[in-house]
Amino acid sequence: MMQFRLEKRREPSRFMLYATPVAAVFLTMVIGAIIFSAIGFDGIGAVREIFLTPLTNSYKWQDLGVKAAPLIIIGVGLSIAYRANVWNIGAEGQYIMGGLAATWVALASHGSGGWWTLPAMMLAGMAGGAAYGAIPALLKTRLNVNEILTSLMLTYASVQLIYYLVRAPWKDPMGMGFPQTRRFASEALLPNIFPGTIVHAGVPIAVIVALIAWFIMSRSVFGYQMRVVGAAPHAARYGGFSENKTIWLALLVSGGLAGLAGMLEVAGPFQRMVPGFPTNYGFTAIIVAFLGRLNPLGVIFAGIVMAITFVGGEVAQTTIGLSNSATGVFQAMMLFFLLAGDILVRYRLKRVVPQTEARV
Amino acid sequence: MTLELTIAIIITVVGASTPILIAALGELVVEKSGVLNLGVEGMMLVGAITGFVVVFTTGNHYLAILLAAGAGLATSMIFAFLTLSLSANQTATGLALTIFGTGFSALAGQGYSARPVTLLGPLFPSELATHPIWRVLFGYSALVYFSLAMVFAVWWFLKKSRAGLILRAVGENDHSAHSIGYSVVAVRYGAVAFGGAMAGIAGACFPLLLTPQWAERMTAGRGWIAVALVVFASWKPFRLLAGAYLFGLVMTMELYAKAGGGPLSAIPAELWAAMPYLATVIVLVLISIRRDASSNAPACLGRPFLPSN
Repeated sequence: MMQFRLEKRREPSRFMLYATPVAAVFLTMVIGAIIFSAIGFDGIGAVREIFLTPLTNSYKWQDLGVKAAPLIIIGVGLSIAYRANVWNIGAEGQYIMGGLAATWVALASHGSGGWWTLPAMMLAGMAGGAAYGAIPALLKTRLNVNEILTSLMLTYASVQLIYYLVRAPWKDPMGMGFPQTRRFASEALLPNIFPGTIVHAGVPIAVIVALIAWFIMSRSVFGYQMRVVGAAPHAARYGGFSENKTIWLALLVSGGLAGLAGMLEVAGPFQRMVPGFPTNYGFTAIIVAFLGRLNPLGVIFAGIVMAITFVGGEVAQTTIGLSNSATGVFQAMMLFFLLAGDILVRYRLKRVVPQTEARV
Repeated sequence: MTLELTIAIIITVVGASTPILIAALGELVVEKSGVLNLGVEGMMLVGAITGFVVVFTTGNHYLAILLAAGAGLATSMIFAFLTLSLSANQTATGLALTIFGTGFSALAGQGYSARPVTLLGPLFPSELATHPIWRVLFGYSALVYFSLAMVFAVWWFLKKSRAGLILRAVGENDHSAHSIGYSVVAVRYGAVAFGGAMAGIAGACFPLLLTPQWAERMTAGRGWIAVALVVFASWKPFRLLAGAYLFGLVMTMELYAKAGGGPLSAIPAELWAAMPYLATVIVLVLISIRRDASSNAPACLGRPFLPSN
C-alpha cells in the first residue's frame, strides 16, 4: 500500500499559500453539495444559487459591491490586527459604535448640515470604532486581559446600546412608534456613484482602503512592525519594537476601520439607525480576513466571495426555499477547509517507501 | 423580602447558572490539556437544537440530553481533527466552529421555532419538596444535580486520579509528556471530546431547563461567558462553581428587572440585558488587578504540539 508522510518544508510554500483559499472555495462547493444532498436538501441547487447565480445574473452585481464593501473594509482592519497576533473578534461591536457615532452627528446636525456633514460623520464613525477598540487595547496592555473575550463581550453590550438609543432618546417622534431614528437629511446620506443604482460611495472607498493598507503593510515600517511582532515576538522585542504599541495600533486601526464601515452602512443602505443594524458583517469579516490570507489585496477577493454567498443565500431563500442560515454553514465550511489546507503550506506530502522493500 | 420570593430567586439563579457551569467545566478540562477551544458557543447551539428536536419528537428528556452530548462531541471532533491532527491555528478554528454551530443550528432548527416542548421535571418526587425550604434542596431537575456532581468529578479527576495527572502533564509540558511515552494528541482528543459533550449538554439546558422552545442563537453568548469564567476561576473547578452562580445571580436580576417593579427597574432594561457581558469584562479586570491572571494558565495553552522527531 502506498503511504504518505508529512515532511516540514524549509520555507512556507507561496504557491500553497494562495492555492489553498481557492481550493477551499471549490471544496466547499463540491462537498457542500454532497452533504446538503445527503441530509435532504437540494444540494446542487443550493450551491448553484449561493455561489453561481450572483455572478451570472448581472443585476445582482451592484448588490455584490454593496455587500462586499463593509466586509472588505472590516476585513482589511482585522487582517492587520491578526498579522500582529492581536485577536480582535469584536469588530461587530466596533462597527456598531461607528454607526452610532455617525448617527449622532447626523441627528445633531439635522437641518443645519452642509458639505461637511458626511466627512464629519466619517471621522465620528472611525473615532467611535477606534474608541471601542481602545477598551480591549487598554485592558490588554495594562492588565493583560485577554482581548478575545473583552472585544466580544463589548459587542453584546453595544447591541443593547442600539436598542436603548432607538427606543428612547433617539426615537423618531414621527415614526409611528417604531423604534428607529428619523431618516437622515440628504446631506447626511452617501451619494450614489452611478445614478439609478444602489452602488454608493462606500464601494470605491473599500477598494481605496484595501490598496492603501496593502501599500502600508508591505512598504512601511508600520507594516513591518505589525508583521514582525506577530511572526516573531522575541525578535521584535530585540529589534526595539514595542509589543504594547503594536497592540494599541492593531486595535485602533481595526476598530477605526470597522467604525468606518458602520458609518458607510448607516449613511448608505440603512439611511437611519434601526435595531436591525447589526448584520454580522463584523463576524463574517473574520472569515474574509483569513480567506484573504491576511493580505489586503487578498481581502478584496475574499470579500467579494463572501458577498457572493450572502447575495446567493438570499437568492436561494426565494428560489429554492433554503434558509438564509445555510449561508453561514457554507461560510464556516470554507474556513474549515482553509484551515485544514494550511498544513500544506508548511508541510509537503511525501511518499513513504516501506522499509522491507527498500532493502531488497 | 418574603421567604417565598427568596426561594423563587434562588431557584432561578440555580437554573440560569447550570448551563454556564456545565460548559465551563468541559472547557476547563480542555484547557488543562493545553488546548483552547473557542467553539463552546457553537457546540452549545448544536446541543441545544439536538436536545430540542429529540424532546420534540420523542418526548424523552434523558434521551435528548444524551444525544445532545453526542452532537456536541461530534462537533468538537471537527475542531480536534483540524487543530490536533492538522495543527491548524486553535483560535481561528474555534471561531470557525462557533460560526458553524450558529449556522448549522439555525438551519436544522428552521420550522421548529415557536413550537413548545415540556421542561425536564424535578428529579426527586414532589413529596420531598413540599416545604419551601426543601424545595431549595430537592426541587431541581437532574441537570442541576449533574452539574454539581461534575464539579466534584472534575476536581477529583484532575487532582486525585492518575489520568488527570497525565492530562495536566500534557497541558503543562507537552514535549516532556511525549518523551516519557504519553500520546499528547490522544490525550488532547479525549479532553476535547469531553468538552464537546459537556457543551452539548449545556446547550440542551436551554430548551430543557430554561425556555421550553427553540430560538436561533438561544444560547446568547453564554458559551463565551463560560470561556471567560475558566480564566476567572484560574482553572479551578470550585471557583468555577462560585463564578457561575455569580453570573446566574446577575442574569436573574435582569429577569426580575424586566418583570417590573422594585428598585431594579430604575435602570433601563437594555442595561440589564448588557449586564452579564459587562460583568464578564469587569470580572476579568478585577481578577488581573488582584494578581497576574496568566500565572495559573496551563503552560502549553493554545500552542500546537509538533513532535520534533
